Amino acid sequence: MKNFDIIIIGAGPNGLSAASYLSKSGKKVLVVEKNEKVGGLALYADSSSSLSKKVIDQLGLKINARKKRTFVTSLNDSFNHTVLEIDENNSIKFNECEASLEDQNSFLKLVKKYNLFAKTLSSFMFNTPPRVKSGNKSDLWQLISMGWKVRKLGKKNMRELLRVIGLNIADDLEDNLTNDNLMGILCNEAVLGSNLGPRSPGSILTLLYSNAINGSIFRNNNLDTEQIISSIEQSCHDRGVEFLKSSEVKKLLINNETVTGIEMNDQNIIESSTIISTLDPKTTYLNLIGADRLDTDLIRRVTNFRSKGNVAKVKIEFKNIIKIKNLDEKYIGSKFIYAPNIKYIEHAFNNNKYNNYSKKPCLEFYIDNKNISANLYYIPYLKNGSHDKKEIESNIQLILNNFIDNNELIKFEIDTPNEMEKKYNTSGGHWHHGDMEIDQLLIIRPFYGSAQYETPINGLYICGAGTHPGGGITGINAINASKQLLKK
Amino acid sequence: MNKNLSYKKPLLETPFHERTLEACYNNDWYRWAGYKIAKEYSSTELEYTSMRNTAGVIDITPMHKYDIKGVQAREFVNKLVTRDVSKIQPNQIMYIIWCNEDGNVIDDGTVFCLKEDHLKIMCAERNLNWFTDTATGFNVKIQDITETIAALAFQGPLSCKILNLLKVTDIENLQPFKFGNYKINKSDVLISRTGFSGDLGYEIWCNPADALNVWDSLFKFNRDYKVLPAGMNSLDMVRIEAGFIQPNADFMSAEQALRTNRMKNPYELGLSWLVNLEKNYFTGKKALKKIKNSKLNKKLVGLDIQGDKPANGSVLYDSNKKEIGIVTAAIWSPTLKSNIAMGYVDSNHMKLGSKVYAEIYHPEELEYKKIWAECEVVKKQFFNNNRKNAIPAYI
Repeated sequence: MKNFDIIIIGAGPNGLSAASYLSKSGKKVLVVEKNEKVGGLALYADSSSSLSKKVIDQLGLKINARKKRTFVTSLNDSFNHTVLEIDENNSIKFNECEASLEDQNSFLKLVKKYNLFAKTLSSFMFNTPPRVKSGNKSDLWQLISMGWKVRKLGKKNMRELLRVIGLNIADDLEDNLTNDNLMGILCNEAVLGSNLGPRSPGSILTLLYSNAINGSIFRNNNLDTEQIISSIEQSCHDRGVEFLKSSEVKKLLINNETVTGIEMNDQNIIESSTIISTLDPKTTYLNLIGADRLDTDLIRRVTNFRSKGNVAKVKIEFKNIIKIKNLDEKYIGSKFIYAPNIKYIEHAFNNNKYNNYSKKPCLEFYIDNKNISANLYYIPYLKNGSHDKKEIESNIQLILNNFIDNNELIKFEIDTPNEMEKKYNTSGGHWHHGDMEIDQLLIIRPFYGSAQYETPINGLYICGAGTHPGGGITGINAINASKQLLKK
Repeated sequence: MNKNLSYKKPLLETPFHERTLEACYNNDWYRWAGYKIAKEYSSTELEYTSMRNTAGVIDITPMHKYDIKGVQAREFVNKLVTRDVSKIQPNQIMYIIWCNEDGNVIDDGTVFCLKEDHLKIMCAERNLNWFTDTATGFNVKIQDITETIAALAFQGPLSCKILNLLKVTDIENLQPFKFGNYKINKSDVLISRTGFSGDLGYEIWCNPADALNVWDSLFKFNRDYKVLPAGMNSLDMVRIEAGFIQPNADFMSAEQALRTNRMKNPYELGLSWLVNLEKNYFTGKKALKKIKNSKLNKKLVGLDIQGDKPANGSVLYDSNKKEIGIVTAAIWSPTLKSNIAMGYVDSNHMKLGSKVYAEIYHPEELEYKKIWAECEVVKKQFFNNNRKNAIPAYI
């Protein structure tokens, strides 16, 4: 086998971005991917985050944005659906709404507040988070500048940010709104993909964080994931990156606390002094490195890293073209949300606490002619056993039959977190490789002892979604990690 | 009345309790891992003397005992501890310490090798959590078996003689840090030649059902050889003389210390001989490599102190009256007839023979006598009798 400067494990958006970036700076890179197709978990996503635009720029690529989804529709059991229209500048218009004018205004004010805070947060994303006790001046300076960015919000806003950052979303919504549907729309954005319910502390932070990554509160981006993935992959090919697809890494070869290469499942050995793992922290540490090479304290942190996924991906095919009851046809391209009120979501979350799937789940879905692709939550990852998929199917059908006019379901496919784990080697099947909560973000993502994309093993770097700034298909993790690597 | 009220029975009783309660004239109890252990039966000095001249019996049942089974048992212990135990053989015992990721000592103990895939670790503090977390990825099963084994320390120059009189076959040929299966008055026991006294001595491990039989047997020849039950206070005296350190007395266990700068690494405790940086990866290896190559700021040393007043809790100074450390344990040693202590000194006073000063506050009939005593830095092992390692042992 040839010699490579760097081996990258995993060809998800981060793996590809890192490969493209590093090969651009002259490194000889090999990307190893378990599956035949590159993209990883990102293949599940409808659109990439808006921040990935900046990554594309840094990689020196050009990409054509598609048309934004303009409508967000929240389905309502009494068929008074709420339809929001969102324009290019993210300003919101109420096309259909049963809420009072006062409520509508408060809603706009709330969104404005969240947008402002999210903007502050998004300015942290493109930096390697500082190390608090390193004694390094640049780390200290960065820490100060992070504080300054918060202070720059002004006294009133800063106080408000610090007040809400640990709060649950339900409290803040109930303080400001009365309409159930409007509350449901925002709750959906706060809890989707996290292990939180509307009343769990910290759910506002997850809302702000996802807002920061996506550049808009409703995640209506104009970047097509598949297009991004294929264009980065193309750039990798152009820059001489080699790919090894359909081959799984068994473990890392480590000698004297330094990586020397990888061993494949077929016993092949590829040597390299630098390896980047884009797998989630648990898989990287416990499977690739092996617990016997780690300090017990670190093993504790790895095993305590919360990475239980609870969103299932569902693909449904209907016999006829789908129509929604009591909704104008021009809104069919919108993002649909079925999370009618706080109580409903909280009840759905209750099942999750006890490792059961929600009997009455929440849905976020897109309609394409006869097809529906949906995010379904809460369907928790199970350590042992599996969910009753037939039961889940009939639960969804009960909801959809309510809203869809005379139609018949002919195909139903579901990927629960357990399947995602198997397909993409993501322990727990979590979208973001690990919960994005206050104790697993920034400086301490994924955990103490593994910050700044480094590991206790010399030459081994991590840049999966389990690192700062987390998941959401940004590729920033890869760019930050590559910069960190090139500094050495 | 509810008999299970916690205040009715606040502490557990060991299988020897029936006897220790009877012997404990002072009713002075010490709390060790939830168990009631006598601090002093009648007189600490007498108990101490029995351990140094005949033999003393100490109830060490609360000692935590962990059973480690599995094909990777030795590999697991090797990952856990700083010493190379990969070649431990059946019937062998090794003194071990384990550290956290910063190289700070969590606890010390002994590992017993029953079979190649079956080890036991005995230690003073609870460690199950640490052990199970360390065992992640290893094919081992770890169990806390503290309650299933009753244990006695039988320490003193006549300990072997008395076991011999009890017809414990071939006990005199048991080597130090080895153990074997024996019978005491028909009860099956495991006897190890280990102990905390720095003298000839054994530790006897038995089934709780046999506990009273074993206890009574040890006192069988008391007409000729005065064997006494010894309490924790006298054990503390002999262990200071022997230079043995105790977690949470001489150093803070890294799992329990709240202030990070209070934790101590093996080099600071003078236990560098237990650290093998050449062996496979173990918790703390990376940190210990760094520590080894950097300058030590503090070290636990033995102190020979002028005068006869024990320097408990004294602050240590250099000749310019600059504070340089603290005493962690001190006694007037009746056997050595000298005033000894263990304490931390700074980097300028670690060498044997260095002079430091202790400020001793000695209470004398409701008034403090303030003594400025010169101390010499010496080896921690104050008492070291040849009997300890002699084979065959003295009978």
